[in-house]
Amino acid sequence: MRAGLRKGSTVTALTDVASSAATTPEPSPPPARGARTPLRERFPGFALPALVWYAVFMIGPVVAMVVIGFLSWPGMLVEPGFAGLSNFGRVLADEKFWAAAGNSAVQIVVGLPVMIVLAFLLAFYVVQKPRGHRVMRYLLFIPALISAPATAMVFYAILNPDGLLNGVLRPFGLDGTAWLANPSTALGAIIAVELWSGIGYSAVLIAARLDGVAPEIVQAARIDGAGDWRIAWGMYWPIARDFIGVVTMLQFLSMLFNSAQTVLLLTQGGPGTSTTTLSYLVYRKAFVETDLGYSQAVGLILFVLGLLGMGAIRRVLRASH
Amino acid sequence: MARTALRPRRDRVGSITSGALAWIYCALLVVPLYYFVVSSFKDNEQIFESPLALPGTWDLSNFGTAIDQAELVLAVANSVITTVAALVLTLLLALPASFALARSNGRLGRFVENVFALGFLIPSFAALFPTFLLAASLGLFHSRTFVVFLLPATALPLSIVILTSFMRAIPRELEEAASMDGASALQVLRQVYLPICVPGIATVLLLNFLSFWNAYLYPLILIGPDTAQRTIQVALPTLKVDAGTDYGVLMAGTLFTLLPVYLVYTVLQRQMQRALISGAVKG
Repeated sequence: MRAGLRKGSTVTALTDVASSAATTPEPSPPPARGARTPLRERFPGFALPALVWYAVFMIGPVVAMVVIGFLSWPGMLVEPGFAGLSNFGRVLADEKFWAAAGNSAVQIVVGLPVMIVLAFLLAFYVVQKPRGHRVMRYLLFIPALISAPATAMVFYAILNPDGLLNGVLRPFGLDGTAWLANPSTALGAIIAVELWSGIGYSAVLIAARLDGVAPEIVQAARIDGAGDWRIAWGMYWPIARDFIGVVTMLQFLSMLFNSAQTVLLLTQGGPGTSTTTLSYLVYRKAFVETDLGYSQAVGLILFVLGLLGMGAIRRVLRASH
Repeated sequence: MARTALRPRRDRVGSITSGALAWIYCALLVVPLYYFVVSSFKDNEQIFESPLALPGTWDLSNFGTAIDQAELVLAVANSVITTVAALVLTLLLALPASFALARSNGRLGRFVENVFALGFLIPSFAALFPTFLLAASLGLFHSRTFVVFLLPATALPLSIVILTSFMRAIPRELEEAASMDGASALQVLRQVYLPICVPGIATVLLLNFLSFWNAYLYPLILIGPDTAQRTIQVALPTLKVDAGTDYGVLMAGTLFTLLPVYLVYTVLQRQMQRALISGAVKG
């Protein structure tokens, strides 16, 4: 979950990228060893408990999710029956699903690029070591420490009709609104909360990569008269591109899957369906409406969308060198 | 910005934009935090009237109310128990596994490693409902125990990737010397590998501390509302009431929730930053 998540799944990332980015060298091919430890070498027995644990608590539920997606299971106490593809038919014919898909799409198509571009610019600024960069690095980390409920409670206080935001707007003669209860601002508010907590952490991660860029190249470019903008986008961006891809995937997964927490805490998907995202729909159908087959069918669709999205991000932000 | 203006070769527009952006974002980070800290000492009227003013008195009564109303002390105790138990279990599972994977050269070892690495792709949240069924079928529904079992599973992929990469860096000769002296595999792990891996273990502990302490949906669904069992993250939102939330109390409760994490961050700032960065990079 975000911090829980977030960090739990913050931490989610990609295998293939990881292996290419791994800093540790592969172990050198084993020298011919005596017959003393052959089994231990070939069979990692000590990994068995972790493997079993992992299979039971993580892989098992995912497999079950796939199975339940094909079951007709209209309530916890009802005996489930095989449904074939009918859950998917129901899902695809449901306006709510399309509303949720639209909200998730807006969230990702608008939120993700904004987050990554701002995080990159922030990282670029911090890496130049301007005055106060230490304070800045300290501050940027703070949202990564705060749990989803705590973040949500702070923003609940800020965005309520008598909250900070309207209080700040009032002296300027601007009338605020009930940001979370107004259908035209609610989704924007959810995205803003995610940006608030996601930009800083992404920036710190990207800055860690930019720190590794040799200062000599940048110096040389400056002497040739390159401005900050060109140095940022012409040098730092291409160098850090594959890594920014990893950060993008991380935040993509977090937005796609963990937004359910923020939505649950702030708006419960409303007003109407204006903040129902796909992951919140999975939650709602399972635990509020107990339409279990439907819920898990959406879960499966979400799962596939997650994989497709990561593939797309990888394609767009593939290392250019 | 004054400093950048002195550098003639800089493209001023560019640097001013990214500098301004950076400080605006920092202000956006700080203002909500400031707002919620001062609000926790005020009542609703003061919060609505003058949201950014310092409180007239540093009155702690909101904290008392929040702690009583949501039974936060009990909730903190539950969070501590859950987090510590889950951390211990994570290490008990991940350390031997990483040890075995770091030393194995066979195809099987590679396969097991890939299974864990693929775990990054599993959005476990989508499978929340089957997880709930699992808890029910084990008879552990509505208890902390199941969450203590579950959280390490969510943390295993990253923990194993980090620890394995640490253990790979340990020269084989060290281990061979120990084996020569007749040490068993377990002794080799304890006496050779563990001491060298302390930084890796610290990283894993810090990362998982954050994610376990901050976990919300799993405890919400699996432990439920029982005040004797629920964690701090589940208890906190109960201070928000649909009609007539006392914002001062809510903010006081939020501040109370954040204190443990903030204390750890202040003491171990460097290590924590490094842990979070390496967590994402290794992942």
